[in-house]
Amino acid sequence: MQQLITTVLTGLTLGAVYAAFALALVLIWRATRIVNFAQAPMAMITTYIALVLIDAGMSYWVGFAAALVSGLVLGALVERFVIRHLTGKSEINAVILTLGLFIVIHALAALIFGARYRSFPAPFGLRGFQVGDTTIALTGFGVFTILSVVGVMVLLVLLFRGTDVGLRMRASAFNQEMARLLGVRVGRMLTLGWALAAVVGSLSGLLIAGGGLVHPSYMDGVVVYGFVAAVLGGLDSPPGAVAGGVILGLSLSLVSGYVGSELVPLASLVILMAVLLVRPGGLFAQVRERRV
Amino acid sequence: MVACGAGEEREEAPAEGSTVGVTDDSVTIGAHFPLTGVAAPGYSEIPSGHQAYYDFVNANGGVHGRQIEFIVRDDAYNPTNTSQVTNELVLSDEIFAMVAGLGTATHSAVVDFLNGEEVPDLFVSSGSLQWGDAPADRPYTFGWQTDYESEGKIIGQWVAENMPDAKVGLFLQDDDFGRDGEKGARQFIEDQIVEVQRYQSGNTDVAPQIAALQAAGADVILGFNVPSYTALSQLTALRLNYKPTWFYSNVGSDPALVGSLLARFSEGAVTDGSRLLDGVLTTEYIPGVDAPDNPWMKLWQRVWDEHGGEGELTNYRVYGMSQAYTFVQALQAAGQDLTREGIVAAIEEHGGGFEGPALAPFRFSADSHMGISGMQVVRLQGGVGEELTPVLVTDIGDAPIEEDDSAAEDAPPDSGIPDQPAG
Repeated sequence: MQQLITTVLTGLTLGAVYAAFALALVLIWRATRIVNFAQAPMAMITTYIALVLIDAGMSYWVGFAAALVSGLVLGALVERFVIRHLTGKSEINAVILTLGLFIVIHALAALIFGARYRSFPAPFGLRGFQVGDTTIALTGFGVFTILSVVGVMVLLVLLFRGTDVGLRMRASAFNQEMARLLGVRVGRMLTLGWALAAVVGSLSGLLIAGGGLVHPSYMDGVVVYGFVAAVLGGLDSPPGAVAGGVILGLSLSLVSGYVGSELVPLASLVILMAVLLVRPGGLFAQVRERRV
Repeated sequence: MVACGAGEEREEAPAEGSTVGVTDDSVTIGAHFPLTGVAAPGYSEIPSGHQAYYDFVNANGGVHGRQIEFIVRDDAYNPTNTSQVTNELVLSDEIFAMVAGLGTATHSAVVDFLNGEEVPDLFVSSGSLQWGDAPADRPYTFGWQTDYESEGKIIGQWVAENMPDAKVGLFLQDDDFGRDGEKGARQFIEDQIVEVQRYQSGNTDVAPQIAALQAAGADVILGFNVPSYTALSQLTALRLNYKPTWFYSNVGSDPALVGSLLARFSEGAVTDGSRLLDGVLTTEYIPGVDAPDNPWMKLWQRVWDEHGGEGELTNYRVYGMSQAYTFVQALQAAGQDLTREGIVAAIEEHGGGFEGPALAPFRFSADSHMGISGMQVVRLQGGVGEELTPVLVTDIGDAPIEEDDSAAEDAPPDSGIPDQPAG
């Protein structure tokens, strides 16, 4: 029984991290109709920035904030100076470009920060909570992870549904020409979309790093599972991304604990296939064939 | 002139053997190591130990008048790269021998190529059995460190004798390393094992595995894992408040490396990270930096001070120097007229008698290319290994485990350079 609880709680925490990463992918997708594979190394870089500050003696929260701010700046810079040059070309060009960025940022990080494993601190305790005599596998940091992901999801829903900026971002993504005619500064909206997505990506990097080990490729697994989670949720819906992340985290944790850890990558693809066969648009698809 | 010289060499070759990479005053050797990538921490320091010791030997006149030139190429622990850099070493750099190429999966990719090209493939930096258990199939390849199966046997026997009532869980890397160790341990504790969990290298979430071990009630965990997974398993056990006795294999237990990873998580209570491993059981087969007064360690410190690069002397550099010492012995035994066939024959004939830093003798012979034959069980305390057993010597299969301290008494010569007679 305790093993089941431990496995489920671990899966839930892990699912929250996948959800955070899926949210970042959804955000870019909604804002620009591109899947950004460079999200993982961008988040890795910002996590290393936090680590450098913390190692220099600053508090965890200073590093945390610096990582989010540098994510914002990095996302904006990448859009403005790299992705912008592909405006008007096929979307696949931009996707391939993000794969190239993936490799470049990876190599740069190994040069700047070194390729060795380093430990990353957590702001809360790493011991599980005590319930009676038993220790459950939920830590203070795990609770923080889950709460921050839910918070980000709510903020994103509010942004896209409830604000003028959110509406303009969606308009820019769907039809740049039309949006421009209606007076939307499309370029700024795209930059904003990338910047916000990179902030959420940085958050997922910080959440998975906390209380664990980081190295330049520590986010590589997350990009795969985060992408699967986003597609499960329909790639278009923040609640879908969160649901997809949690479903994936729970299933993979159960597979790892009860079937065999070698089957984890396989299981994630089986889940993806099963969902897409039953609901091709994803679990939370609201729009179909709205692509222009 | 050149063509003429080469022609003469070729005529002599059938009788004398191959002299690729050898001149009158130099011998060129090569190796593949992960200098970048996830396996680089620790392992990338091994070639710097080799280089320091070769510089030391070269400064003292080399071996039979030849300077040792050591070429290291980076394979980033990726077997595809290993094939490529090995091609470069053999075909372009024209090395005499591969010495200490690192890694089971990586070296597996090139071992048949090296044997096909008849390049001596000496002292592979991995404890897999395949380097030494079939010398008929791989006549040019030799192991060096104690193999994982023998280590599993020694660990299994110690647990069976000292903790006969313990419920044992196995935490294994899902490859040859974990499988060989498990095979050895099962010879002695088959009926004590209550749970076996494997992790995939690269998947850093081991909570489901540790939870399964906890649920099975295991109170002793044998870990055949690499150092980063020692840190991850300790962190996860902390989270689950799970306190079994941990017994990590030699590979995963370097207190300095694991301690530096764990130091941050000691929650301020302990400043010295290596203390977090207090009470952990492991094994040793060469003296390490925790024994600065050992005569071998004094030699390595002297070599490192005189010829080392940047940084401190670490256990990984000691490992490299210890291998380099064995290679120098092999060069000496091969004699003045160095050939590829000659050095293989010399190791088969005399290697079993090489006296070096290893606690147990080598098993080299015409029938076995297995390296060091044993190890001792130690308990870590403040980053130092306290001996719990004498040196235990064994072999793969059902060979018995016997006490044998003879090789542990070997001391280095004053010159610091072995004095192996030419065979």
